[in-house]
Amino acid sequence: MRFFRKKQGIGKAGAGWSLFAGVVSLIYFFPVLWIILTAFKTRTDTLSIPPKFIFTPTFDNFIAVFYRSAASSQDAASTGFELYFFNSIFIAGTSVILALIIGTLASYGFSRHPLRGNDTYLFVILTTRMLPPIIAIIPIFLMFRLSGLSGTYIGIILLYTAFNLPFSIWMIKSFFDEISTDVEDAARMDGSRDRGVFFKICLPQVKAGLAATAVFALILTWNEFLFALLLTGTDTRTVPVQMARTLGGEIGVDWGLLAAIVTIFLIPVFAVTYMLQNHLLRGVTFGTVKK
Amino acid sequence: MSILKITGLQKSFGAITAIDGLDLTVEEGEFFALLGPSASGKTTSLRCIAGIEKPDAGQIEFEGSDVVPTPIQGRGMAMVFQAFALYPHLTTEQNLAYPLRERGIEQTEVVRRVAEIAEQLRLGHTLARKPDTLSGGEQQRVAIGRALIGRPKLLLLDEPLTNLDAKLRHDTRAEFKRLHRELGMTILYATPDELEALSMGQRIAILEQGRIRQVGTPDQLYDAPESDLVARRVGSPVINLIRGTAKANATINLPFADISGGNWARTIAGFDVNTEVLLGLRPSQLKLVEGTPGGPNFKATVELLEPLGDVTILDINAAGVEMQMVLPEAKAVGFKVGDSLEIEFDPTTSLLFAADTGTAIS
Repeated sequence: MRFFRKKQGIGKAGAGWSLFAGVVSLIYFFPVLWIILTAFKTRTDTLSIPPKFIFTPTFDNFIAVFYRSAASSQDAASTGFELYFFNSIFIAGTSVILALIIGTLASYGFSRHPLRGNDTYLFVILTTRMLPPIIAIIPIFLMFRLSGLSGTYIGIILLYTAFNLPFSIWMIKSFFDEISTDVEDAARMDGSRDRGVFFKICLPQVKAGLAATAVFALILTWNEFLFALLLTGTDTRTVPVQMARTLGGEIGVDWGLLAAIVTIFLIPVFAVTYMLQNHLLRGVTFGTVKK
Repeated sequence: MSILKITGLQKSFGAITAIDGLDLTVEEGEFFALLGPSASGKTTSLRCIAGIEKPDAGQIEFEGSDVVPTPIQGRGMAMVFQAFALYPHLTTEQNLAYPLRERGIEQTEVVRRVAEIAEQLRLGHTLARKPDTLSGGEQQRVAIGRALIGRPKLLLLDEPLTNLDAKLRHDTRAEFKRLHRELGMTILYATPDELEALSMGQRIAILEQGRIRQVGTPDQLYDAPESDLVARRVGSPVINLIRGTAKANATINLPFADISGGNWARTIAGFDVNTEVLLGLRPSQLKLVEGTPGGPNFKATVELLEPLGDVTILDINAAGVEMQMVLPEAKAVGFKVGDSLEIEFDPTTSLLFAADTGTAIS
């Protein structure tokens, strides 16, 4: 997050309002901050009451994320976290990219070449997201087992792609709808074929929309737990599932370990959102077409 | 030689008929204006000619062959859109170069021609900027430049001045005339603005409800409109159309005077007595009586004065008939609302239309 931007720093709103916004955003950010702090605490510090904000940080929790503690450091065995972390990135990344590609093509079609009953189709597409996932989980679980998709990358990626599509189509379509068709006609008159119009004229104009869609789809997929729990295997397990597995155990919940996992887990989403932030904040500019 | 010949063009959108049998011929090198109110079919006509819309029926002959089946990319025309339709994600330079790059023209030639057109349209300082940072006039010139750079044989302009402010409109009118003179290109210019059509168009087509009502030079349209509709459309302030009745001896009975002797006299002599007609008098044809009246004359009261600097427009009322007249400022000075005027006019320059069909009588 960029807290201090030149442009934003000299906001027109008064200092009082800026302070107010600061306090509110601190309240919002507090849980995240709490978890990150916990990740650096020893077990005693974690559970101390009142909570400690000043303490000697430790990296033990982070080491524990990757290595099981053993009698001696030579025996330290991997927890397999690298694999789960990779799985999360690979599965979420691939399904978001697939949903973006298919969603972009589909929404361009819905926007520019409406079918008879276009709105009905769009509505039907969205209904799949209206079902609570818990309703669908049993049939999907059975189908996955029957088709051998259970525990495979392809299976969970296909499922997440299908989950992300309705949302992506609706969102990207609204961005395409905003582009003036005159601009496309102009490009055709200038000699562009349909493919050129799409790639050179339309796509660059919805870049911001694609970025926004990607961030939202990524956050949803990244944190998905229910389907990952039931449909991934040991090789394809994602981080949220692994987090659940650290709960319990003889000595109760190891909050420090959990917080360390979450902290590491936050990094990719933070990074992607930060990279796309400019697009997200800027929105789409339609400076040339007066409506 | 005609470069564009349209016959029987038809285009409907659902239940709405946009173009209803349009016939039009544009000569090579001509500045041709399509004048009509909004929704009269101007834009649809241009879009059909350009190939953006496919006509329901009719032929569009361009340079001797029917281009209706020709795809939009290969027609050798260019268009300037009302809202400019610049590529918002590209700089001025990239916008100008786009048509050339899409046609695979060699890079050195692209650079040369972009520089040339930027110089011609004074866009040099904007080349690295994107459209949303340009002023309205600059955006307009980029749109024109992008249309001209491919050296089209026909340039279609769809209300290109509508989105500009008044001062810029005036300057751009002059710019279009200059470009036309310098490039000798055929231009088809759609506009709802009479002033634009008259000041730029060498010939003008009056469009109404998807049909052409009359084609002619500005003088022809002004002096000899074929219908009351065309008479109303051309000339500012709008022509006074006064309802009257044809009487014996080629006389017309108006509410405030009887007149005879127009160039319509011979025709109207054959009409039935009591046929309803419309007499057309341009506001500038009405004069104040000075000394002995030379023609038909009547009394009227001033209802409104609109001083425009060198001339003043007067709304007057004669026996219940509302009219407008234009007086030079020097003569109008001192008049106020409620004053009584004595007005005369020369019937030989008046226009006459059938009241029912609107057709001109001469």
